[in-house]
Amino acid sequence: MFPGATADREVADYVLLGAPLDISTSFEPGTRFGPNRIRRFAGSFDDYDRRTDQFFTDLRVHDAGDVRAWDDAPEYVEWLAGSVRDAVWDDAVPVVIGGEHTVTAAGVTGVDPDVFVCLDAHLDLRRAYDGNEWSHATVTRRVLDELGVDEAVILGARTGSPDEWERAAADDVTVVEPEAVPDWEPAFDGDQSVYLSVDIDAADPAFAPGTGTTEPFGLTSREMRDVVRAVAPHADGFDVVEVNDRDDGQAASLAAKLLREFVFAHAAGRS
Amino acid sequence: MAKEQKQVRELQEGSYVMMEEKPCKINAYSTAKPGKHGSAKARVEARGVFDSKKRSLSQPVDAKVWVPIIERKQGQVVSVTGEDAQIMDLETYQTFTMRIPDEEDLNPEDEIEYLEYEGQRKIV
Repeated sequence: MFPGATADREVADYVLLGAPLDISTSFEPGTRFGPNRIRRFAGSFDDYDRRTDQFFTDLRVHDAGDVRAWDDAPEYVEWLAGSVRDAVWDDAVPVVIGGEHTVTAAGVTGVDPDVFVCLDAHLDLRRAYDGNEWSHATVTRRVLDELGVDEAVILGARTGSPDEWERAAADDVTVVEPEAVPDWEPAFDGDQSVYLSVDIDAADPAFAPGTGTTEPFGLTSREMRDVVRAVAPHADGFDVVEVNDRDDGQAASLAAKLLREFVFAHAAGRS
Repeated sequence: MAKEQKQVRELQEGSYVMMEEKPCKINAYSTAKPGKHGSAKARVEARGVFDSKKRSLSQPVDAKVWVPIIERKQGQVVSVTGEDAQIMDLETYQTFTMRIPDEEDLNPEDEIEYLEYEGQRKIV
């Protein structure tokens, strides 16, 4: 269980779902260990958040455990989306813990947002990677082209193929390069539904080495924290993905802390 | 009660199932691979036929569920008053009043189809 996620499912305002999918990781695998590693490295954090004057255990977070993954991405995403939708129907905010970035398609399907905000080193706008349309490198393209999202904002992106940069130049995509992220402020219409996805590789590998495709010249932990704090009050769903077990816990610790920042900022924004 | 028992595995999108004692029409059906320890599970999403409320269930595929036997009948519009229509069943000639669905535009003499389950009726 994620430390402090002690609420019963029936009364939960936040439902955590582990999604240990690890089938298309293209360089270093291990995202199947992400959910439990993130839970483990959340163990050292204080219950109390001074900035928002809240206790995590007061915020009615429920850890529903892992949704067991298997090797058929579209089937798994459909199944996982059902659990996400259950949370949404119960007026709770789904919080998906990856797993590879592919699981974001389930989060977005369940939440059905207007705007997709993503912290990511990669554009993930490919149609396919190594011939696989369901690769983790295609998730933002899927969200835009198949899941009914009106626009995507990709923060911290610093690499992609020519085709991806061409897709990123379209009106429905905003790319904020790492240098510009500290000055970025969200500008959502009041009635727009927002989904926030955090690919841990948006961080510079110095901060989060435990991820499948590290990309130097990235964001600092604090820059990512500030984005999460700014977007969380507007968000109806959240995920943090691409953490693996190939470091000493840096990536998992950052992911766990960003998850908690999301919950604290979202809850403070609601009250 | 006009209902029968089936296994979850026999359900499919477009068919009916009882959830929370209400007849519902299935609009999504997905299954999970069970792994080495456990039985395959299915998740069914459906919408209440008469109350339109979204419901879901997640059960092993060999679990038993109730399936309502909903009759599809033919009727004819006798008269229209505001949002309600008086309908005559074309088999029994019984007449009754039904709410007209928002997207329907009905006029007297129109033939319609309606669903009936335990005294509840709905124009489709």
